[in-house]
Amino acid sequence: MKQTALRTLRALREHAYLTAVSTGVIAAALVLVGMFAMVTTNIQLILGSWERDVHVSAYLHAGGSAETHAVVVHTLAARPEVAEVRYVSEEEARAWMVERMPELGPVLTDLGKDALPASVEITLRPGHTSPEAMGAFVTSISAIGAFDDVDYGQEWVTRIDTFLSVLSALGAALGSFIGIAALFLVANTIHLVVYARRDELEIMRLVGATDRYILAPFLLEGALQGAVAATLANAALWAAHRGLLSRLQDVLALALGGESLRYLPAWGVAAMYVAGMLLGTGASWGAVRRFLGRLP
Amino acid sequence: MIRLYHVVKSYGEHDALHDVSLTIDKGEFVYVTGPSGAGKSTLLKLLYGAERPTSGKLLVGGVDVATLPQDRLPKLRRNVGIVFQDFKLLPRRTVAANVALALEVVGAPADQIRRRVPAVLNIVGLKERQDSLAGELSGGEQQRVAIARAIVNDPAVLFADEPTGNLDGAMAVEVMEILQAINLRGTTVLVATHDAGLMDRFPQRRIRFEGGRLVTSPTRARS
Repeated sequence: MKQTALRTLRALREHAYLTAVSTGVIAAALVLVGMFAMVTTNIQLILGSWERDVHVSAYLHAGGSAETHAVVVHTLAARPEVAEVRYVSEEEARAWMVERMPELGPVLTDLGKDALPASVEITLRPGHTSPEAMGAFVTSISAIGAFDDVDYGQEWVTRIDTFLSVLSALGAALGSFIGIAALFLVANTIHLVVYARRDELEIMRLVGATDRYILAPFLLEGALQGAVAATLANAALWAAHRGLLSRLQDVLALALGGESLRYLPAWGVAAMYVAGMLLGTGASWGAVRRFLGRLP
Repeated sequence: MIRLYHVVKSYGEHDALHDVSLTIDKGEFVYVTGPSGAGKSTLLKLLYGAERPTSGKLLVGGVDVATLPQDRLPKLRRNVGIVFQDFKLLPRRTVAANVALALEVVGAPADQIRRRVPAVLNIVGLKERQDSLAGELSGGEQQRVAIARAIVNDPAVLFADEPTGNLDGAMAVEVMEILQAINLRGTTVLVATHDAGLMDRFPQRRIRFEGGRLVTSPTRARS
């Protein structure tokens, strides 16, 4: 092991330029993949906030007593798919409307107390916001017989759902493309780097080195290059994250529902190191094995 | 030391070697000669396992190289030395590092490498240049480094494929003198060459090939 480590250090010193090229390309590949992951993470954050905004408005029969309304609210809150139920009295509804459209104030006064009915705003748990699930929920609560009308913005929910499906498919396709491009880029660069050292491989073969002896330092070099590349890629992504944060936070705050633009989670950073080291060793292994197969 | 029985090596329909049988005894110095394309280099490649014969049997030190599994080749090559016309050195490593490479791959301990490398460089007259980069040496010096690397493991046999092909007259003579000296220490030496002048100056047994056929082998050869 010590011999392998010494041979690896010697090779890194002797081929400093090639080492820098390999490391740079692995880092570039990781930045591509990491940037995609970061964008995906934040898009999911935005979509999560949209999902939280989806709710059902159920308008109670006019003239119901406060006790009856309390029972309805309690019944709804007990359902497993319901995250939150908020009761909006006639007065609150009127105040809300007048606050936003003051010109309607006199009209509402003329129409009397029952102009705007009391209602409940129901927020559903994640996983229960698909058009089908919401449709089934609305049918189910309509059967209680306490509501004049139940509305969940069916058209809006369907549009969001279609948009999310398209976005998921695009994300998967783009992610696959970026992943394959990164693999291709790294594999070909390492292949060229190993090609530049083909004389060394041939000489070692001719003086009686085993394939394992030849491969070992290349694998260690690959792992080291991958780890350094992951560090560089993280530094670049962090800088990009900080830059975006300072320039776009105000714009994004609305979409993110008040949350901050996120960096990769800890497991994502760890995955970059694992991916970098696997890329480095895997590409080195493939390239060296291919050359050894052609050597005398 | 080396025995060939009806060895054929074909590339497609072309026979690079055709039904070659011969014997080379331990401690011999043999020239493998003939015009370009006669089969000299092919014979050497077969002997150190870089190529496999199409048919026939080929023994080096009792090992049948024709059927030797790929994973046993390193062991064979640790027991033979190989010298090439183009030296095959690592130009950015020192002379000593190039020679030490052959010891490192067999797992020789560091103190043995430190003792053995200068001793072998002394034999080829390059002890004073052991810290120079191989790429900075003249052609003759580089070939001497290659010879030092080939003999550092005390091989039983040394194969040299056109070792003087890239050298001028004086350097070629120096290299031949070193190969003769190595032979005198008991190593079997096979030199592929078409330099008649050198063969006349350093007379030894000659095995001549023409068009892949063994045409002259004054002693111990059968075809």
